[in-house]
Amino acid sequence: MILVEELTKHFGPVRAVDGLSFAARPGEVTGFLGPNGAGKTTTLRMLLGLVAPTSGRALIDGERYADLDRPVARVGAALEATGFHPGRTARDHLRVVCRASGIAEDGVDEVLGLTGLADAAGRRVGGFSLGMRQRLALATAVLARPPVLILDEPANGLDPAGIHWLRGFLRHLADGGCTVLVSSHVLAEVEQTADHVVIVARGKVVRDAPLAELVGEADGLRVRTEHPAELAAELDRAGGAVHRDGDLLRVSGVDAAGVGRAALAAGAVLTELGAERSGLEKTFLELTMAELGGDP
Amino acid sequence: MIALVRAELLKIRSTRMWLGMLALSLGFTLLGLGFYIALAGVEMNGEAALPPVTDPATVRGFYAAASAGTLFMMILGIIGITGEYRYQTITQAFLVTPRRYRLLAAKLVAYFLFGLAFGVANVLVTVAVALPALAVKGGSTSLLDNDVPTILGGTVLAMGLYALVGLGLGALVRNQVAAIIVAVGWAQLVEAILTVALPSVGQWLPAGAVRAITRANIGFGGGGELDTLPAWGGAALLLAYGLAFAAIATFTTVRRDIT
Repeated sequence: MILVEELTKHFGPVRAVDGLSFAARPGEVTGFLGPNGAGKTTTLRMLLGLVAPTSGRALIDGERYADLDRPVARVGAALEATGFHPGRTARDHLRVVCRASGIAEDGVDEVLGLTGLADAAGRRVGGFSLGMRQRLALATAVLARPPVLILDEPANGLDPAGIHWLRGFLRHLADGGCTVLVSSHVLAEVEQTADHVVIVARGKVVRDAPLAELVGEADGLRVRTEHPAELAAELDRAGGAVHRDGDLLRVSGVDAAGVGRAALAAGAVLTELGAERSGLEKTFLELTMAELGGDP
Repeated sequence: MIALVRAELLKIRSTRMWLGMLALSLGFTLLGLGFYIALAGVEMNGEAALPPVTDPATVRGFYAAASAGTLFMMILGIIGITGEYRYQTITQAFLVTPRRYRLLAAKLVAYFLFGLAFGVANVLVTVAVALPALAVKGGSTSLLDNDVPTILGGTVLAMGLYALVGLGLGALVRNQVAAIIVAVGWAQLVEAILTVALPSVGQWLPAGAVRAITRANIGFGGGGELDTLPAWGGAALLLAYGLAFAAIATFTTVRRDIT
């Protein structure tokens, strides 16, 4: 359980984090979303005792990170892909963490295998790609099988196969009871994994809700038809909100079965029927842009 | 704490930087020793460049070459902490050990131990070269006379303490290049001048402390005429420098946000 209460951080005159509060619960993947510069990284670093808050609290299982006994066994963290000595091998990097935190070193090869780095274990990190560094950061985070995971932009630098793997990995951990907090500035990355999303902009929470709720709000259908005018009129009668763009109709308030019935009634031929995929992305943009005072 | 020290020792061993520092310190030792071997008792312009090997001061000079590379131990210590900031590995280090003073304490111990090991290596190489050279030139081949045990033992201790001083300095300065420039500039310029110009002040500086511990002047000329602290005083002085730097760093630079 991660609990952030009224957390505030000023860097000189800049309020990087401004009275932020949210919680991340066990068994859930919590997406921590916001545009670049929203204060995500600063918040995570305050959670991990690396940055001292100006005011407020950031607690992990009721304790400050610095007060945890053997923190590596309680909280796994992957913060940035660059924090490795280029001259040290991946295996030695993990062995150092094991020694310093009193964890048995047998877990090293296991996490290297788990993150797909078994073949690179003996190579110096200086020769690693960004994706490999991300994998090594993840391997470090899960080394001691901690019940809480805090990951800052873990998908950066991963290829599509890596992102797919990461989603499954985080889902698996959360299903096993872990508290997983994962930050991102790209909504699509967490859209398929997160149970709960906390959206921040300018250091403040602008939305804190289950993902399903946001998806529900944004839901809409894309309908392409050979008879747009007839179908639009029929959908309107069925109580749907229709936005027509040539032969493409963006429909909300009516489900797919409703569209089918309307098409049958209007005698309209459908050429495409599907979910409006950009709906959640639009909600995210609207929420964060509104806070920034710009147009969505 | 023992676990943290072991982790720090593994950190040092798992990159190759220490090999470079060892090569440099051995190189300086052999260079100094080479001059002594070449010039001891040799006449230049009708005068002896250095007293012959039958002179105890020359024997001391042979073995004192072992401590010529102490500056590289200081640099090793500096890199030991500034490298963590440079490569941003300090984030991981503080995640593992959020009570930062404990990490710094473990590093001080680890680098002291590593410096002692370097000192042993320098001493072994020095003896391996100096002993046969003295034998060939007809000098004393005893490792017990002429203050040799003090010089060699002092060199080992001085190397350990110099690594510790470097670590404290590095923690305070944080910037690797700046810290190394400060250390080298201080040792090669400020200290060299002060030692000659104001020996009463010079004895309280790191190089003066090394002179006190090893009972030998680095380089040419006898060490007898310079003001020098007792050996224990020199060791305490170096320890005090290292711990004072580290203590100030704990309450200033080490507490800063890691962003």
